[in-house]
Amino acid sequence: MPMTDVLLGSVEQLFSLATLVSMMIGVMAGVIAAAIPGFTITMAIVLALPVTFTMSPLQGVATMLAVYVGGGSGGLISAALLGIPGTPSAVATTFDAYPMARKGEPGRALALGIWASFFGALISAVVLIIAAPPLALIAVKLGPWEYFSLILFAVTVVASLVGKSVLKGLMMSLLGLFIATVGQDPMMGVPRFTFGIDVLAAGIPFLVMLIGIFAVSQLASEVENPTEMKQGQALVGGKMHFQPFGVMREVLSRPGNLLRSSMVGVVIGAVPGAGGSIANLIAYDQAKRASKTPELFGTGIADGVVASESGNSATAGGGLIPMIALGIPGSAVDAVLMAALMVQGVSVGPRLIMDNAELVYGMFLAMFLAAGMVLVFCLISMRWFIRITEIPKSIIVPVVLVCCAIGALALNNRITDLYLLVGVGLVGYLLAKLDYPLAPLVLGVILGPIAETNLRRALMADENWTLFFTRPISAMLLLLAVLSVALTVRRLLKKRRTVSP
Amino acid sequence: MSVVTDKVSRATREANSERGKAIANILFNAGLAALFIGLFMQAGDLPSSMWEPLGAGSFPRLILGALVVFNLAIMCQSMMALRHADPALSVGAGRWFIQRRLAFASLAAFCGYALLMPWLGFALASLLFLLVVQIILGARSGRRLLVACVIAAVFGPGLDALFGQVFMISLPQGRLW
Repeated sequence: MPMTDVLLGSVEQLFSLATLVSMMIGVMAGVIAAAIPGFTITMAIVLALPVTFTMSPLQGVATMLAVYVGGGSGGLISAALLGIPGTPSAVATTFDAYPMARKGEPGRALALGIWASFFGALISAVVLIIAAPPLALIAVKLGPWEYFSLILFAVTVVASLVGKSVLKGLMMSLLGLFIATVGQDPMMGVPRFTFGIDVLAAGIPFLVMLIGIFAVSQLASEVENPTEMKQGQALVGGKMHFQPFGVMREVLSRPGNLLRSSMVGVVIGAVPGAGGSIANLIAYDQAKRASKTPELFGTGIADGVVASESGNSATAGGGLIPMIALGIPGSAVDAVLMAALMVQGVSVGPRLIMDNAELVYGMFLAMFLAAGMVLVFCLISMRWFIRITEIPKSIIVPVVLVCCAIGALALNNRITDLYLLVGVGLVGYLLAKLDYPLAPLVLGVILGPIAETNLRRALMADENWTLFFTRPISAMLLLLAVLSVALTVRRLLKKRRTVSP
Repeated sequence: MSVVTDKVSRATREANSERGKAIANILFNAGLAALFIGLFMQAGDLPSSMWEPLGAGSFPRLILGALVVFNLAIMCQSMMALRHADPALSVGAGRWFIQRRLAFASLAAFCGYALLMPWLGFALASLLFLLVVQIILGARSGRRLLVACVIAAVFGPGLDALFGQVFMISLPQGRLW
């Protein structure tokens, strides 16, 4: 069938009233769910899955894609306004969007993030259409050596990015990797470090860690100052301005940053298992290294917000590349999308484009459409979201703490998860007070099982460990890991010398 | 207090706690190093596999070994910072806790909330927690107390009803009734 006919067929299916309405609801649900700390995009997609069973395959997948793309932008809201990443993929967004909001520019922080997310998703959809097959072929060629090195690179990048001390950053990354080893061994199923405690048998749930470390400790820091509390001070002071179209020009005036960060998102998204949680950090790191003023990163600058948000949104398209071309899901979300297609009787694999061309091109178009819908929804609703910042801390802090408790309880309906949340929150607060960066700890917990599995797989395939250094991509990633630490140490030493001559 | 004065006092407070932070870092890392050494030994007892060169304990041992090295490095760094910190400017641990009394009180309330939830259920425990924390944070009379009561009612039993009835996610109900 000619491509124009296929495209027209997809447009006809996609632009039906039922599909448009279900996609709009999906976008709203994705944005709101990802904005609540503790509710991830994966959870929103899983909740949406049963609803799509009664829909046609394209309507179902388009609705889930809408939740996915909406969720990519939703994490920005709590990251910018509360300093709490709504999802792991919004961790780097807190580095600059939150300081910007605290400086009295919450409207600018949100608008920058919304536009960057929109352009990031758009660029990834274009790349998805053009480059799906060749990029997927490259991604599938990566062996366990490359995966392990990629994770080492991601860990060193985040450790050197945040906090005042690289030593403390690296220690927190390693602590995260160790916490991930609690529970069952990923290869042999042997229990490790469980001390006979039932709740530890399945490992420490990373979502509870994420909420406790970021949300609970951050909220406790917010209520430290008794004077502010007495006056009923809000989280963000100053006048609220929301000028979305002025900010759109600001985003477009950074084409290099936008394009580079989006491409980082697409490539990382295409690597199975990597996803948005790594993409936003690497995009942020690359933007910082390419900047003429890297010292301003972390103080609330536009470049930081643009890099992180375009990077994480672009993973949506990137993640679909290996799924569509080879039937390998790029992330947990893609795995749920794949499951939705299989429930509909569509077999996902290399023949998907040939056998279901209308469906695949419909998915490409749905990405564009969802990105547009998210933009419209966020631009309309953002004025109300900004009002959150006007609520006094004495109200918002306990309410968000209750939402955090729901996030921990809803996961497994276990009260022990709530106890764990309280413990992790307290430890996180004390660690933050001792200047230990918390982002590397959480990233370590998420990446730990992938790192261990790939290291062991690599050595199972070949006991020769020098392969990590002789395989070109693996060697390049390890070199980048060493460079990221070395350059940061050099920068910190230089800064120290300037401060104390 | 103006924003500028507040920022200055906060900066002074942070500078004054450098000595305390260095001591806390040394103690914290010494404790962690001892814990990690113990876990390193325990990981040695984990079974190995005949199918792969690395057993269940190798990866954790690799990480724990590296962690001990980092603990020692941070302890050295903190000892150097301690030598440079002026003891006359130190605020003391008691003062440090008092300065952050609201944060610790909120965390203590959160701890109590978690402990009470199996007995009182989500709705009532949340209502009490929301009310108590808002009072701790300054809503003690008049309009602010009234708003606190409304917020507690809406986000305690209200959220319980929303999750139970609309999202079909059942939150703890409590053993007392």
